[in-house]
Amino acid sequence: MPAPILSLDRLTQAFDGVTALDALTMNIAQGEVFGFLGHNGAGKTTTVQMLTTLARPVSGTARVAGHDICTAPLAVRRSIGYVPENVRLYDSLTARENLMFFARLSGITAPERRVNEVLDLLHCTYLADMRVGGFSKGMRQRVGLAQAILHQPALLFLDEPTSGLDPMGVKVLRDLILQLNHEFGMTIFMNTHLISEIAKTCTSIGVLSHGKLIYHDRIGAVTARYGDDAALEELYLSLIPVGDLAGAAG
Amino acid sequence: MNALSPALLIAGHSIRLVLREHIVALLAVMFGMLVLISAWLGWQATFTVNRIYLDAAAFLQATGKPVPTNPVLDISPLSLMRNMSVYVSLIGALAAIVIGNRLITLDRKAGVLPLIGVRPLDSTAYARGKMTALAVLILALGTVAAVVSVLVYTVLPAISVTASQWLQLAGFFGLSTLYLAIHGLIGMTAGAMARSESVGVLVPVSLWLALTFILPQLTGNLNPTAAINPIAALAAPPDTAFFRAMGQILGSVSLADAYKFGSANLLDLTPAGIASPALLPPLGVLVLAAMVLLGVTWRALTAMNMAQGEFDA
Repeated sequence: MPAPILSLDRLTQAFDGVTALDALTMNIAQGEVFGFLGHNGAGKTTTVQMLTTLARPVSGTARVAGHDICTAPLAVRRSIGYVPENVRLYDSLTARENLMFFARLSGITAPERRVNEVLDLLHCTYLADMRVGGFSKGMRQRVGLAQAILHQPALLFLDEPTSGLDPMGVKVLRDLILQLNHEFGMTIFMNTHLISEIAKTCTSIGVLSHGKLIYHDRIGAVTARYGDDAALEELYLSLIPVGDLAGAAG
Repeated sequence: MNALSPALLIAGHSIRLVLREHIVALLAVMFGMLVLISAWLGWQATFTVNRIYLDAAAFLQATGKPVPTNPVLDISPLSLMRNMSVYVSLIGALAAIVIGNRLITLDRKAGVLPLIGVRPLDSTAYARGKMTALAVLILALGTVAAVVSVLVYTVLPAISVTASQWLQLAGFFGLSTLYLAIHGLIGMTAGAMARSESVGVLVPVSLWLALTFILPQLTGNLNPTAAINPIAALAAPPDTAFFRAMGQILGSVSLADAYKFGSANLLDLTPAGIASPALLPPLGVLVLAAMVLLGVTWRALTAMNMAQGEFDA
């Protein structure tokens, strides 16, 4: 079994005295595509914000690529890429100008060459000199993905990457994620509430409910136990309390 | 080539972004034009008085009457810049607020803070970059005004400025730049702390209105219109207990008053018998305000929530 690239140890977060994440403990192995499933407000984004050092946990810690998120945040940031749920960029700048800025901030020594490489890799060279303000959601997601992989991170965090995309956009993004995983060995940590995405993309799955990890296993084990990919939905429904499902539907 | 530190990268990027903003460009151009107009108005007023004097002197000489001394020679050439302090405290301060504010709100509005927050930057790089950008842009505003005035003194005929007067002029532009920086810091702090973009603009503009138009009324019984007149603004307040107390209590936070008194001193314009009612000298008031605001702005910038993508997120 490969060494864990991500190791969470009783990671806890609270806002105004309300626990948002309750002593989350788990390991993610290198090279995995991990799908983090949960209802709205389950604590998925809170988890990613702590793992990307954007927020500090109230207790517990995590190690990302061997670095502690509390004591070595700079080393963690060098190892990760992050695509937020709604990719926001400087609308008045072109895709290339946006990427050049983030490449320089990441300390890339030949930013221009790297930006061209990444644009080429993600098949969006044609977007390079267009202003981001006029981009569709799918185009933004691709540039968002580009800024996240400029420095060739070992671990990529994606927060609801396919949210709001049309079916073609979803497929393009899914293919890109898999390409990054297969060709470059990038570990992917993907927040989602789309069960279909987990089935098509992920190698392991975690289910979060009210800040608690209620399920964590490899997709292979799930399908072996429940029969096929479609059974994931059945699994999820059996894990999540009925009240939460009603809330999500509302 | 990537030799720049992250703070300088952020500063350079922020300056480029802000300069693309139409409102910033408009205010900066307006400020530059008003500086030119103020210099021209000062010169024109002096030139007109001088011409009237010369005509009168020729007439008096022809009729054998004694010729009085030229009143133009009694006033300092620095008084040509008397309108400049008005434009600095009005349009210049407003431009500085907008610049300081936009340096932060452009990032917040774009929602890029999380993308910056996950880069390998130390916790103060963002604050240092933004404050460097503000310093560069405010210095540029002050330099534009200074260059215009130097050109005016160099080009206009019959005006000679002594070495000590050049120093006074340099002091005036230093003071003006400090005053602009204070407003830039106010705008930046509001931009960093406000929960919504509109509040981030409304708060510093309200503060600017209070400093420019309301506080001088309490400390000097000045009508708001007096704030647009540097000479009238230095009239003596009524000698009553209320104004004496207000002058002492509020004088030290009445930044527009402090700037006007400081400018008048440096431009040889202070009417005889008039002194700032504040406990602290004008320069002390402005330096203290700048230092306090530097601390407040630094705290506001370093405490920014980088996880929050945009306003009201």
